[in-house]
Amino acid sequence: MLDFAFWLSETEWSIALHESLYLYPWIESTHVLSICLFFGTLLFVDLRLTDKVFNNLSISEMNRKVLPLTVFGFLVMSVTGLLLFYAIPVRNYQNIFFRIKMILIVVAGINAFFFHRRMSKEALVWDKDSSIPRSMKNSAITSLVLWSLVIISGRMIAYNWFDCDRQPQPRWINELTSCEVDYSLFEGIDGF
Amino acid sequence: MRNILGYIVFLILFAFSHTINSHHAFTAEFDANAPINITGKVVKVEWINPHAWVHVEVQIESKTTIWMIEGGTPNTLIRNGLTKNSIKPGTLINVRGYQSKGKLCLPRCIANGRDITFPDGRKVFMGSSGTGAPRDGSDPKER
Repeated sequence: MLDFAFWLSETEWSIALHESLYLYPWIESTHVLSICLFFGTLLFVDLRLTDKVFNNLSISEMNRKVLPLTVFGFLVMSVTGLLLFYAIPVRNYQNIFFRIKMILIVVAGINAFFFHRRMSKEALVWDKDSSIPRSMKNSAITSLVLWSLVIISGRMIAYNWFDCDRQPQPRWINELTSCEVDYSLFEGIDGF
Repeated sequence: MRNILGYIVFLILFAFSHTINSHHAFTAEFDANAPINITGKVVKVEWINPHAWVHVEVQIESKTTIWMIEGGTPNTLIRNGLTKNSIKPGTLINVRGYQSKGKLCLPRCIANGRDITFPDGRKVFMGSSGTGAPRDGSDPKER
């Protein structure tokens, strides 16, 4: 994987992206704005499913109105996110917050998959007798918590706190981030 | 109740407003009380968003140290008069800036660059303003 990241970083477009004067900041800004659209609309869908707010709107009505925006936000967010990774592959790949974020996205994705599969089948039933199953409420809250954590860990990627350039770091951190470190440099330093 | 809630939200936003306008806060990574003034040859320039890095080889007596100096974005550097070609490897430069919080220099020293001075006396601001870095007068746009 690290070799692949190095190979990616040498490709023509990756260099053009990370050296660009305007494109990179534009992509970065678009990424942040699309996160706002995605998470902002997701908030409505998920909060409605907790059955505490927006009760005057049925679940299927809410989904029909809001979910297309969420999906659009998600698509733009994913494309710009991939481009941001492609611009700086090695540093991102070795960034601990990036790795945490990717794991959280997978977990949030699995939650969303089961959540939507069930919702598409049963939303009309819940509309009628206004009884949302407990597990769906939990799933909605889980979704909000997970996506919040995704955003927070994404923000943390900017910090170099556990980057490979910053040594000495505990071995387990260097292993978690696939850093290649010459430990002989650390001899005589307290704690190593 | 609504007023109190609004007040709390305002306080939270206010507390974070300082970090919002920057990519990452200066104080998270660098030490404002550790100014550096180094002279050496450029060995490598990473012309990358969101921060460019200039690697400088500093020779003091027989000891050679590599410094990784963080600069602004390629865009801000070009606006300040610094291009990829004006700091080619081999160029002799003097850099003023602030060292990172960790100072063991393993494997390299890390610092936030404020300005670069070339052998002909030309001085260029290379940092980003508004990141919480000390206002030391090196940014001509600073008010």
